[in-house]
Amino acid sequence: MEFSELIRTGQAQAELLRGPEMPPLRGTLCVTGHHLLLSPGPQATPDLWLLLLRSVDSIEKRVAGDAGTITLRCKDLRVLQLDIEGVEATLDIARSIEALSSLESVITSFPFFYRPKGLRLGEAWHFHPPERYYKRVARETRAWRLSEANEDFSLCPSYPRAVIVPRAVDDDALALSARFRHGGRFPVLSYYHAPSGTVLLRSSQPLTGPQKRRCADDEELLRAVLAGARPGARGFIVDTRSAQAAKQARMTGGGTEAKAAYPGWKRLHRPLERGRPLQESFVRLVEACGDPEQSMDRWLSRLDGCRWLSHVKEALSTACLAAQGMEWEGACILVHGAEGTDSTLLVTSLAQLILDPLSRTMAGFQELIEREWIQAGHPFQLRCAHSAFSHTRPKHEAPIFLLFLDCVWQLGRQFPLSLEFGEGMLLALFDHSYASPFGTFLCNSEKERCLCEVRTRTHSLWSGLNQPKEQRKLRNPLYVPNPLAIWPSVEPQSLRLWQGLFLRWTHPPEPSEVAWEKVWQIATDQEKTEGSQPTDSASEPQP
Amino acid sequence: MASAPTSKYNSHSLENESIKRTSRDGVNRDIGEALPRLPGETRITDKEVIYICPFNGPIKGRVYITNYRLYLRSLETHLEFSHGVRGLTTWSQLKDASLQDSALILDVPLGVISRIEKMGGATSRGENSYGLDITCKDMRNLRFALKQEGHSRRDMFEILTRYAFPLAHSLPMFAFLNEEKFDVDGWMVYNPVEEYRRQGLPNHHWRITFINKCYELCDTYPALLVVPYRASDDDLRRVATFRSRNRIPVLSWIHPENKTVIVRCSQPLVGVSGKRNKDDEKYLDVIRETNRQINKLTIYDARPNVNAVANKATGGGYESDDAYHNAELFFLDIHNIHVMRESLKKVKDIVYPNVEESHWLSSLESTHWLEHIKLVLTGAIQVADRVSSGKSSVVVHCSDGWDRTAQLTSLAMLMLDSYYRSIEGFEILVQKEWISFGHKFASRIGHGDKNHADADRSPIFLQFIDCVWQMSKQFPTAFEFNERFLIIILDHLYSCRFGTFLYNCESAREKQKVTERTVSLWSLINSNKDKFKNPFYTKEINRVLYPVASMRHLELWVNYYIRWNPRIKQQQPNPVEQRYMELLALRDEYIKRLEELQLANSPKLSDPSTSPSSPSQMMPHVQTHF
Repeated sequence: MEFSELIRTGQAQAELLRGPEMPPLRGTLCVTGHHLLLSPGPQATPDLWLLLLRSVDSIEKRVAGDAGTITLRCKDLRVLQLDIEGVEATLDIARSIEALSSLESVITSFPFFYRPKGLRLGEAWHFHPPERYYKRVARETRAWRLSEANEDFSLCPSYPRAVIVPRAVDDDALALSARFRHGGRFPVLSYYHAPSGTVLLRSSQPLTGPQKRRCADDEELLRAVLAGARPGARGFIVDTRSAQAAKQARMTGGGTEAKAAYPGWKRLHRPLERGRPLQESFVRLVEACGDPEQSMDRWLSRLDGCRWLSHVKEALSTACLAAQGMEWEGACILVHGAEGTDSTLLVTSLAQLILDPLSRTMAGFQELIEREWIQAGHPFQLRCAHSAFSHTRPKHEAPIFLLFLDCVWQLGRQFPLSLEFGEGMLLALFDHSYASPFGTFLCNSEKERCLCEVRTRTHSLWSGLNQPKEQRKLRNPLYVPNPLAIWPSVEPQSLRLWQGLFLRWTHPPEPSEVAWEKVWQIATDQEKTEGSQPTDSASEPQP
Repeated sequence: MASAPTSKYNSHSLENESIKRTSRDGVNRDIGEALPRLPGETRITDKEVIYICPFNGPIKGRVYITNYRLYLRSLETHLEFSHGVRGLTTWSQLKDASLQDSALILDVPLGVISRIEKMGGATSRGENSYGLDITCKDMRNLRFALKQEGHSRRDMFEILTRYAFPLAHSLPMFAFLNEEKFDVDGWMVYNPVEEYRRQGLPNHHWRITFINKCYELCDTYPALLVVPYRASDDDLRRVATFRSRNRIPVLSWIHPENKTVIVRCSQPLVGVSGKRNKDDEKYLDVIRETNRQINKLTIYDARPNVNAVANKATGGGYESDDAYHNAELFFLDIHNIHVMRESLKKVKDIVYPNVEESHWLSSLESTHWLEHIKLVLTGAIQVADRVSSGKSSVVVHCSDGWDRTAQLTSLAMLMLDSYYRSIEGFEILVQKEWISFGHKFASRIGHGDKNHADADRSPIFLQFIDCVWQMSKQFPTAFEFNERFLIIILDHLYSCRFGTFLYNCESAREKQKVTERTVSLWSLINSNKDKFKNPFYTKEINRVLYPVASMRHLELWVNYYIRWNPRIKQQQPNPVEQRYMELLALRDEYIKRLEELQLANSPKLSDPSTSPSSPSQMMPHVQTHF
């Protein structure tokens, strides 16, 4: 297929409106295979305005007289308006954008063509292999091993090639456990908590079905986990569904661990919303935030009604629960819901941020996302196909990764010194997870990424973000390493709407950016004069 | 290990803070009792009680009552967190368990008490059902249980009532007994002549008049007023007859460049019959004529339209089109003191002692508190914008011109004039627009008065401070002061330790010789300035601040309204500020060292124009365009 078949017009004269605070741009509009370009002419600054077509979420066209208007709602929640001369041109451009922005094929997407200066292909893809995390674990304990039983993705299509499992369990047993778990996602190590010697595991639901089937190898696997921690260690299974939903899942072949079959393990149900309700909550929130209506006397109840902040609260408290189980109870924790690719990852990754100081560094956070989201098989392609503006009925879309970023933002707000990265990093991750010139968030699993040769044919987002010129936007100038766990307050009055994201395009020029810039200047001045790292005298208060 | 608490996690750490503060001020401590005392503070009694803490349950302690404060210290060190982490309990239970820490201390100035009630009777059964219930003005209640025998409660009740409500017992307020000494005298902060001179007054349109020197023209106005040059003292007297409580239109602020003004007054006495007054009409016209850029005068009536109409029934009203044809009148829809009082009451209901958790935002909305904040801010923005961009002079009034009017003029001045955003500038603003122009602090707060249900009480000044806080949130670099500054002002609004907020107007204060007999709150603050400084402050002259008054950008001031709840304590003191202060201090030190080195090597590095060590060059200057 050639892109030229989808491009219905060469170019047109247009005016672009980019929101209340930005001056309009006027110039020549042009559609290419992956971009919408507006060239205001050589004298103007900037001389070119560029939009990745993939980031268009919905498109609306109107014609009147001999001109037309196209409204583009983007996946990063921006709303753009194009006033175009000529009815034909308007319709052609609209059709071209529609066709090109919804291309499904991965290998014709922009990351396969993007060749930025200064970056080399294949770079940074080996920044965070699973083996690396295993090395960290192996330094602390001998109870775990790196298994390559999934080398050809036959055990579990959504797992990476190598996973960390109890040393006492061999690959054959893993294969049997995989057959007993939804999508083959048998329990694997997510995080080793060195101070207590306990572990965080994740999996999918067991396939007990209506007959309450059991699997000896699966039971043995979890027994081995407890035995590997310390004698008499206990475990908690945090099921991210309600007890009733877990029971109902038996009807469709799923289910949950029977008490008698897993001695030492206790089940807790912490229902987290996922899938459609979460997507709808996101859509309602974005709608409320973008409502131009000035009389906002019902704003708070409307915000309440969106339920987004309750999802944030539930996610954070479940993560706290898992983290406490390890840190305070000395217990092992297994997290799963049904498929184990959504709310499960939300809980395990947040629990690590709370407990593990390393995951709060720039490199550690990237590793966490790579390991706990990308390689762990969160289906980014399906979940982030559309953002909040799409008119089509959501099929698999759900802003679960955005919910994770929001929770991290809340952590950063409550512990402003403890994260090495700032809001800019979280915004960048949100933008790139929905539409990106980089290959990092492409596909749904490692298996698909291998098939598409993503690693060799696209650039990694991490190499893009780790360029020196990006650092000032992404890093937190006030960062001080904090060796302690950071327990967030989850009371509703402690959680805020993430204005930097949800009101990013409607907010007036942000004075907080001014403050941010000032902090940077002071921080760099100070480093320049001192020439060494800041002291760690300002650690944050702990609850 | 990581769970080891690093900060003192006491549910009343703010009070601990105030102990630290007072001891730095040279407070005496009774060594045996560890009771902090101010000079002039005397101990009245002490008693063993059980403090029914809404967050930690009953706590046995000894309560000390002085003529200034109620001070409680728990007897046993409390509740180590070893108990109860058995099985996975809920997150909040676990967290509560970790909060307990050392002795609990309660340090409450008697001035914050609005009501003392007895609970239970001599025959009441049940544990801790007999004692005292104390309602405070600062968003909390206290409950003490006492032993039923021996009139122990009666003594405590009587002593507390006596010293918390000295007015009813012909006792002096503590401010008159306070013997604290400070290096700086806060009473010197505001000098009206100097402040008007800073604004460039008098000029050829505006003059300073002493017509009210003995408060004969208007007993609730200050002695010194700024009025149009072309209006004679006789004109002023005639205008006074037509304005509620004789509060004639006088200048509050003049724009340094376009010379438009903000004028404040009370409502005209129009009445049901629609009376007119030629002198008043002429006077407003004279004010209009001081500005040649626009031939209209803008009048902002802070009230909702219907209320302004209803006021005609009691002799008040507003400026009609036919009588004042060179003026445009706008209503700003801000509700009266009773609405505000009820709204704050609802806020207290949802935050104390327990925060309404389910549907938090909807319950917050149902208090309408933020909506009122929004209307006040919106009104002030309109005033500021009219003066600054509309180049029109503005008259602001409500009914009597001492509540909503003070909010609007002071907030507009804060937006327009960067001087008021410094610590001393803000003190001057409060001293000028609120204290000297007769905001009825005594009636609104009820200092030393036992009549807790008085319909005159209302949190108008608190609402103003909340608006300032909202602005400081939106412009983190624009204010020299921090959140602690605003909170200490509110704490001493009630405490009666300083004379600053006592009495309703300047004439009453003069009669009581307040400036001679009491200490000013600004003395305390200005001798401790560093503590109240905002490290992000970047001084910018001539920048007008227009906050966003949309509900989307307003927040409940959690650190004030919910500060007694230990679960929100986490973010205090603001670690960013701390860290930033450290960085600034370090930088200053390095700059100094660098300068010294350069001095030592002066032959080589003496050219001052290229020296990087000059602080003004190092200081980043940030500009935002509007």
